[in-house]
Amino acid sequence: MKVLRPGTLGEARALIARPGHVAVGGGTVLQLGWASGATPPEALVDLSRLGLGDIAASADGGLTIGAAATLADIENDPQLSDTAPLLARAVRDIGAPGIRRLATLGGQIGWGAGCLLPALLALDARVFAAGSTDPVDMPLADWLAAPDGLVLSVTVPPQAPDATWTWRKIGLRAAFTPSVIAVAGLRSEASAALGAGGGPVPPRRLPVSEAAVAEGPEALRLALEAEIEAPDCIHRTGRYRARVAAAALTRGLFGTPRAPAAETSLKVPAAEPPPEGLRSLEGGPGGPEWHPRPDGRAKITGQAGYLTDARAPDMLVGRILRAGRPHARILSLDTSRAETLPGVAAVVTHADVPGLNAFGIMWQDQPALCHDVIRYEGDPVAAVAAVDEATAETALQAIEVVYEDLPVIASPAEALAEDATRLHQGGNLAAGFDLERGDVEAGFGAAAHIVEATYVTPRQMHVFLETEGGWCAPGDDGTLTVAVGGQHGGRDREQLARILDMPEERLHVITSPTGGGFGGKDELTVQPALALLALKAGRPVRLHLSRAESVLAGVKRNPMTIRMKTGCDADGRLLAQEVELVADCGAYASLSPAVAETALEHALGPYLAPALKTSGRLAYTNNGVGGAFRGFGANQMTFAIECQLDRLAALTGLDPVEIRRRNLRRPGMPGLMGHKVAGSERLAEMLAAAAASPLWSARAGPDGDPEGTGMALNFQGNGLGSLPQDDGEGELRLAADGAIEIASGLDEMGQGLATALQAVGAARLGCARSDIRPVYGDTQAAPDSGSTSASRGTFAAWSIARGAAPGFAEKVLALAADLTGVEATSLRLVPGGVAVAGTNSDAPIARFADLARHAGTALPRQKTAFAFPKTDYTDGNARFIHCYGATLARVAVDPVTGEVRLRALEMHTAAGPVIDLAAYLGQIEGGLIQGLGLTLTEDTLFREGRVLTTNLDAYMVPSIRDVAPSLRVTALEDLDADDPWGPRGVGELGIGAVTPAIANAVAAAIGGWPVAAPFSPEAILELATGSAAA
Amino acid sequence: MTTPVHFTHNGRPVSLFTEAGESLLSLLRLKLGDQTPKYGCGQGGCGACSVRIDGQLRLACLTLAETVDGAEVETVAALSAPNLDPLQEAFMDHFAAQCGYCTPGMIVAARTLLDTNPRPSRDEVIEAISGNLCRCTGYEPIIDAILAVAAQEVSA
Repeated sequence: MKVLRPGTLGEARALIARPGHVAVGGGTVLQLGWASGATPPEALVDLSRLGLGDIAASADGGLTIGAAATLADIENDPQLSDTAPLLARAVRDIGAPGIRRLATLGGQIGWGAGCLLPALLALDARVFAAGSTDPVDMPLADWLAAPDGLVLSVTVPPQAPDATWTWRKIGLRAAFTPSVIAVAGLRSEASAALGAGGGPVPPRRLPVSEAAVAEGPEALRLALEAEIEAPDCIHRTGRYRARVAAAALTRGLFGTPRAPAAETSLKVPAAEPPPEGLRSLEGGPGGPEWHPRPDGRAKITGQAGYLTDARAPDMLVGRILRAGRPHARILSLDTSRAETLPGVAAVVTHADVPGLNAFGIMWQDQPALCHDVIRYEGDPVAAVAAVDEATAETALQAIEVVYEDLPVIASPAEALAEDATRLHQGGNLAAGFDLERGDVEAGFGAAAHIVEATYVTPRQMHVFLETEGGWCAPGDDGTLTVAVGGQHGGRDREQLARILDMPEERLHVITSPTGGGFGGKDELTVQPALALLALKAGRPVRLHLSRAESVLAGVKRNPMTIRMKTGCDADGRLLAQEVELVADCGAYASLSPAVAETALEHALGPYLAPALKTSGRLAYTNNGVGGAFRGFGANQMTFAIECQLDRLAALTGLDPVEIRRRNLRRPGMPGLMGHKVAGSERLAEMLAAAAASPLWSARAGPDGDPEGTGMALNFQGNGLGSLPQDDGEGELRLAADGAIEIASGLDEMGQGLATALQAVGAARLGCARSDIRPVYGDTQAAPDSGSTSASRGTFAAWSIARGAAPGFAEKVLALAADLTGVEATSLRLVPGGVAVAGTNSDAPIARFADLARHAGTALPRQKTAFAFPKTDYTDGNARFIHCYGATLARVAVDPVTGEVRLRALEMHTAAGPVIDLAAYLGQIEGGLIQGLGLTLTEDTLFREGRVLTTNLDAYMVPSIRDVAPSLRVTALEDLDADDPWGPRGVGELGIGAVTPAIANAVAAAIGGWPVAAPFSPEAILELATGSAAA
Repeated sequence: MTTPVHFTHNGRPVSLFTEAGESLLSLLRLKLGDQTPKYGCGQGGCGACSVRIDGQLRLACLTLAETVDGAEVETVAALSAPNLDPLQEAFMDHFAAQCGYCTPGMIVAARTLLDTNPRPSRDEVIEAISGNLCRCTGYEPIIDAILAVAAQEVSA
């Protein structure tokens, strides 16, 4: 691609007329396309030298705005808010500040899709353009209908001061959002001007509706619904667009019709005191428990040393060739042309895999590089290493693959059909689970109330901000260093050793730090291709996936469809529960079978019922690959059961707290599978905390939108469960510089491992946090501590400190005794070193650095091993230790758009002692907001095995405006007196119950439960109007 | 086709060649070895590559490298020297960085806000960083950190 910079209008017009040449202002629209995988144009014709950026007063008292003026220039123009307040308001809704610095007015018009167009149309803007034959000066509406030439400027007449005006952009999230539709309107005694457009909606004036304004709001609304021409897109239907646009314009020009208060049968729980010991966790510096993280400085300076940041002079650039088709047979694969390109150092295919060409944490069914069949778009076929990015790209394009496309399995239902094409030799059923206990039919027969609903959960994407990548380098001694962000270096090494047919001892795996994981870096990602390239090239190679490739290749949360039928007696006591789970595995197993099993482990939530029947079917499809994601199936099932409880509450006349209290399991009872579970259960306390919440009596906001409060309970297991091997090792050691190292093979993904290691080490040893240097994420520097997943890091870190501290302290004190002559039994560890015991003084008589010098090469070190506590159940997988939570949501439902807005989120947690306040709060808040995304905006959409949401312009991570303006977290920290298992991990607790809490809050607001997450505003509107009509 | 560009990078004059169509982000990360701006999406959708050009907030992934000829380009590295920016201290103190990958962009966006609006409201803070995604924190500590610095700088 080249960039041309014409200096005159004539040159510009000549260039734009050429094929493959595209005029560009800020380039923001174009970039959206090619960062999602589209081919860039041949040439960009940059118009910035034409001097079209001025904004000046026009002859009619309005403004003339040059086509090259940026949206930020317009926003900051001092005259704008007086001349055209509608435009001033509208421009702030486009993009975000950094985007508005680049995006130009010309781009808004030239692409014909700018969100600003409805405002300009309603304001009667005129376009001045260099037309193909003559200069053009015409109304914007006419120009858009038949674009002619290059737009030079736009004149906006002064807005009538007496006119009522309105502007509304409806998006996919609360800010920085693509447009669903945008509308602008002006209404005065004499006339009205209306415009609609934005995104896929053609920008139009709405003359029929303008005429209907005089007839009043209802006539206007109907006219608008008929007149607005809006297509469907992957996110919203055209019907929805027209409907909300009509409602927004009508409401904006005529004021809010007073909606009748929603009738809801849900009772509010009686106020009660919170459980003893529950405390609010306050964020922010100042308190004695608040500590900055040891890796904080590196992060705030941008020098954290992410593995994708590594550069070395001889480092090659790696790229992976993805199949780009969901299901196909490889007929031929020819890399010869790519191999001979100058600058290409290595090309690898399946033929270069020396060992087992398969990986998977538990089931190895995923090829490192495909040799016969492609099962998803992101399947890797080959990889190249070249001297630079451009050469690597050229080499990828030079690889010739001939495919024969095969029938696509686009859903679990298609996969499980009798005559379905088989994706794997064993068929399409990746896993099946069935359980029956008690007489379910008799239970439903005796029930006073039965509710049945089908809940759907999305293919949520992790969207770690650092996409997969890193570097790999062969050593002189036959070793190989693989440095790729991950969640378990030891297991990555084991998997790579199998693929490379290399002894584990020769593999050095570095996995930290990494820019977010959330489960998505638990499985191998780019390591196999990267390692094969480095071995073949004999040189270091780096590789960093583009976002579009990450979307294509990476694991996602397994979408689930959960049909749940629940019956209770007249008093609200559960009698029978039937659950049918169908989950989309994607193309390969990864951890999906374990996810589905974990979901079913939560089939009754924390409740009791005499009869239970569950079935689970996990099906292979061509929809990407499913796998681990924070919550691991538990949060999906919790969504279903917690909504069922509220539905039954409504039918029985109980409040949400009371119905739960009547059905809650009691401490000491066996778990769902009849298995033994650890003590320190705190469900009743979490329920009491929820009952005490001020959110039940929150007042509705001033806008009169329906509001409601909802709750949900959850519990989350810690550890991998009863079946997988789940143990590890760690070490305390004194380093030569006097730092006490606490070494663990866990990973720092942002969650605060480093700060937690300092916390547990300092607490056990009696030294200061700053005396401790955490060492992690490197198989050479630390022993294998197991995976950083399944909320197990806290237990692992705590166990390492607990196990190693006594022996380590003894060795350090002996060393101090030797140095100082004071008996070891009279010494103790204090911040900075070793002090004399039994005195009030914490002043060390020997500093750790002195001790290290004195030790010479015989530095004290103490290794320890731990086993994650397990339950006795082995017929399947089940967890032993858990943490507990109650989540409350206060929501408002926008009656115009059906959008759900969070007013407040509150979570009560019980996970034993908080070992680091900031990290604990960070995990809960982060989990809540990731859950909010799952509930309201996030889904990786597929059609016929092809991903549609290819980058972050279509996949909606919550923006800062989507989060609840009020977040409150509490903790209940005590453990049972005989509980030896210490603090519980809370990495997954926060996400566990957000979805049902919001669903129940929506039901409290509008009387009906959304069942398919993310909750589409369209479905919410239908629920709201449906229940109003009923 | 390569084009020479001359600009100042964190106060240091630099001259180099840029390929046609190359983004400023790629120029900074690959040719100048400044890894502090991050790649997150390549389409202006996450804000991880936020930098300042002539004092204004810009997205390096959307900026063609050749357009910065003659400009002053600053990354978070410019704010860190010789002393940390109070915003950086505040991000540390508030635990506003978890994985830290969004942090350089957040800090650049926040500094640009405080330079033009030293006493922002909570809503103005939110608006200023609304183009920057954070996947770890839930945003609350980030808002708190920026507001804390604003309060400090105004009272100082």
